[in-house]
Amino acid sequence: MPVLINSINFYFLLLDYFLTVEMCNPASPFILYTNTTVMYVTQFFKDARYFQILFQSIFLCYGILILHWNNEYLLYATYFITSLAAQFICEWLFGKKTIPFFTRLKNGIPSVLISSFGLSLLLKTNDLSVAVFAAVVTIASKYIIRINGRHIFNPSALGIVLSIWLTGNAWVSPGQWGSNAVLFFGVLCLGFIVTTRVQKLDTSLAFLGTFAGLVFARQIIYLDWPMDHFIQSVSTGSLLIFSFFMITDPKTIPGHKMVRILWSAAVAAVAFYLSAFKFMNGAPIFVLVLAQPLVPLLDSFFKANKFEWVPSKACTPAEKKFLDTVYSRSFM
Amino acid sequence: MAVSPLLFSFCGFYVSKADGTLKNKTSQVILVRDGNRNVITMYNDFTGDTKDFAMVVPVPVVLRKADIKVVDQSIFQKLNDYSAPRLVEYYDENPCNDYKKYKEDMMMPSGTAMEKALSGKVAGARSSVKIEAQYIVGEYDILILSARESSGLKTWLLANGYKIPANAEEVLDPYIKSNLKFFVVKVNEKEKQKLNSNFLRPIQISFNSPKFMLPIRLGMANADGDQDLIVYAFTRKGRVESTNYRNVNIASNNKIPLFVQKNFGAFYANLFTNQWIKEDKSVAFLEYSWNVTPVNPMKCDPCVGNPPTEQDLVQGGVWWLGNKDWTDYSDVDNEEPDNGSTNVHFTRLHFRYNRESFPQDLMFQVTPNTENYQARYIITHPASGDLNCDAGKKYLHDLKQRRKKELMELTFLTGTNINNWQDDVTTINESEIDATARYTALMPQVKADIENNETAPAGIILLGAAMLGAAGLMRWKGII
Repeated sequence: MPVLINSINFYFLLLDYFLTVEMCNPASPFILYTNTTVMYVTQFFKDARYFQILFQSIFLCYGILILHWNNEYLLYATYFITSLAAQFICEWLFGKKTIPFFTRLKNGIPSVLISSFGLSLLLKTNDLSVAVFAAVVTIASKYIIRINGRHIFNPSALGIVLSIWLTGNAWVSPGQWGSNAVLFFGVLCLGFIVTTRVQKLDTSLAFLGTFAGLVFARQIIYLDWPMDHFIQSVSTGSLLIFSFFMITDPKTIPGHKMVRILWSAAVAAVAFYLSAFKFMNGAPIFVLVLAQPLVPLLDSFFKANKFEWVPSKACTPAEKKFLDTVYSRSFM
Repeated sequence: MAVSPLLFSFCGFYVSKADGTLKNKTSQVILVRDGNRNVITMYNDFTGDTKDFAMVVPVPVVLRKADIKVVDQSIFQKLNDYSAPRLVEYYDENPCNDYKKYKEDMMMPSGTAMEKALSGKVAGARSSVKIEAQYIVGEYDILILSARESSGLKTWLLANGYKIPANAEEVLDPYIKSNLKFFVVKVNEKEKQKLNSNFLRPIQISFNSPKFMLPIRLGMANADGDQDLIVYAFTRKGRVESTNYRNVNIASNNKIPLFVQKNFGAFYANLFTNQWIKEDKSVAFLEYSWNVTPVNPMKCDPCVGNPPTEQDLVQGGVWWLGNKDWTDYSDVDNEEPDNGSTNVHFTRLHFRYNRESFPQDLMFQVTPNTENYQARYIITHPASGDLNCDAGKKYLHDLKQRRKKELMELTFLTGTNINNWQDDVTTINESEIDATARYTALMPQVKADIENNETAPAGIILLGAAMLGAAGLMRWKGII
C-alpha cells in the first residue's frame, strides 16, 4: 500500500511540476490539457512552502499510521498552538509596521506551520513546558536574531538544538524512520521536487553527496563492511529529511551558488566526523546551527540576489494575453 | 563499547572444535550506561562440558583485571521475571448483586529454551596477534587479544583449535580496523572444580567509551535463522532506545479472551512473531520501561515478580547505587560526572535479528524519556450467579459484544486464524455462563464477521488525510 500511495503522489506532483514550469511557455502541449482548476492549484503551489507543508504532513501521517509512533497528539498540538501564538506576539512587537498587521500575520503562517511540523517530526519530549520553550525559541529567533534584515538560524533547527542543550529533557530519535526503502525513494522524489522548485537542489545534493561519500569511504573502503551496512547508514529517513527539508531553507544558506555548495559540503564533513568518531546522535542538526552564523559573513563577501519565496519570473504580457484568452480568466 | 560473544547464549558466534551444529537462540545481556561508562553483563546458559566452552567478545579497550567480574546468575532470572510481558486478570461484578469481587493475577510466558555447546583452547600467539593481557577471573581464563589483520586472528584461532565460521572474516576485519580488542574466554578447570557447581556464572565487564552499542554481527557469523536478544538496560536518566533501528512499543493493554490464560506463553510468542513480521523485522521492541529506583514505591501495575532490590541492581552493574565498590574512577571521563543521583531507569528491549534485517551492530542512546511502559494483556472473568434483572440482561448483552471484540483482538494480535484457538476454547469451564455468551458460541459468529469484513488499509486513511489537508489549505487560500 505505501508503495502505491507514494507513487500516486509522485506522479501527481511530477505532473504538477511540469505544469508550473511550462505554464508561461505557450508552446507547451501541457497547456492544452489543463483546466482552470489545475491552473489555480499550480499557481497556489508556486509558493514552495505549501508543498513543504503538504509533504511534512504526509510524513507525520506516515509516522503515526504506518510506523506506529506513540500518539503524542498533545505534544503536536502544543507545538502548533504555541508557534502560532508566538508568531502573533512577535509580529505585533517586531513586525514591519508599514504592512497591515493581519496581512503580515497571514503571510507568515505557512512558515510557522513548517516550523511546527519540523518540531513535531523531530523533537521528542515528555514535558510540555519543554515543547512550549522549543516553539517559542523557534519563532522568536526569526524576529530577534537577525542580521541585515535576514534571520540567521533555521528556526526549527535552533529550537531543537537549544531545547536539547538547555533543558536536558528533550531528544531526537534518529532511528524513528527505520530504513524502509519505500520511504527512501518517497523522500527522495518528493524532496527533489520541493528543492527544484526553489532552485536549491544544489544544497541538498552537496550535503548528501559529501556525507554519503564519506560514510562510504569509511565503512566500505576503510573498514571493509559489506554494502548493506552502508546502505543502512544512508537510507535513514532522518538524514534524507534533513537534507531535503532542513538544510535547504533558502533564507539561511549562502546566496552565492559555489559558496553554498562548499558550505553544505563542509556541514556534511563536520557532521560525518562527529557521528563517526564522536558517536554523536543527530549531528547534522547541531552542525547546521553552528554553521549558520557564518552565512551572513559569507554573503557579505560573495554577493548574490536575495531569495524570494515566490519566484519573480512572471509571464510576459504576450504570454499572459495568450493564457487569458485560453482560460478567459486572469489567474496570474 | 562492544560485546559479541562468540559462543554462549548471547549473540554468540561459536568457536567450536566439533563442527558447529550449535545454535544459540535467545541471549540476554544487561547494559548499564551513564555518561561514558558502560557495564555489560552477559548471561551464560552454557550447560555442556565446560571444556568445550569458549567465547570471543570485541571490546573497545584492553580491560584491566578489576574491570572483569563474575556475578550471580540469578540476577537474570529476577530481571526477566520482573519485566516480562504480563497477563492481568479482572473479575466482573454481578450487576444484580451488591457485593464486589476483584482480584488481580499475573502470569508470564515461559522462557525459550536455548541450546548450546562449544569448545576451544587458547594457546600461543602468532605474529600479527598480540596477547594484551591475561587473567583468571572466577572460573574463567581470560585473554585480551589485539590483532593487526583478520587473517592473522583467524589463523591464530584455528591454530589454537577453534573452528571459525567461514564468513566470520566479514566482521573480524571491520572490528580489527575499528581498533577493537578481542576478549577471549574459556573455562579454567581447576577454578571451576573449586566452585563445586555446574553453572558458569555471567561475566561482567566495565569500561569507558563514548560508543554505546552491542556488536551482534559477530554472533551472526554462524547463526542461520533468527536469534532473540533481550537487553535489560539501566540508566540514570531514562529510557534507552536504538538509534539505527526503529523503536516500536509492543502491543499492550489489549483485552483478550479468558482461555488465553492457559497458554499465555504461546500467545505472547505468536504476538511477538506477528508484530515482528508486520513491522518489517528491523526493529527494537520495547517490552518494559519503568523507574526502578530502590526508593520509588510503585514499579509496575501489576508486578509479575519482585522488583529488583538495590542489591540486585548493584550486582547487575548499576554502580551508582549502594556503597560503590567501583572505586577505580581515575580514568573516568564522564561527560556528566557523578551527580550523586540514585535514580535508576530500567528498559527492556527485545530484538529478533538475522543477517538480512540487521546489517549493522546495535547502536543505542540514553534519552531523558521517563515515561512508563509495560507489555500487559487483560483477561476478564464474567460475573457469575443469577443475571435475571434488567441490569443483568444489559450486562449479558455487553458481555457478548466484549467477548467478540476479545476474539477479534486475539486474531489481530497474533495474526493466527481463529480456528487455531478452537482447542483452547474448550479448555475452560463455561458452564456457569449463559450459553449465548460462551466463547464456543461466539467463535463461529466472529469467524463470519472476519470473513465478511475487510478492514480498510491504513494507506487509504493516509491518502485521505493528505487530501483533506491539501483541500483545507486550498479552501483557506480561497481557491476552492
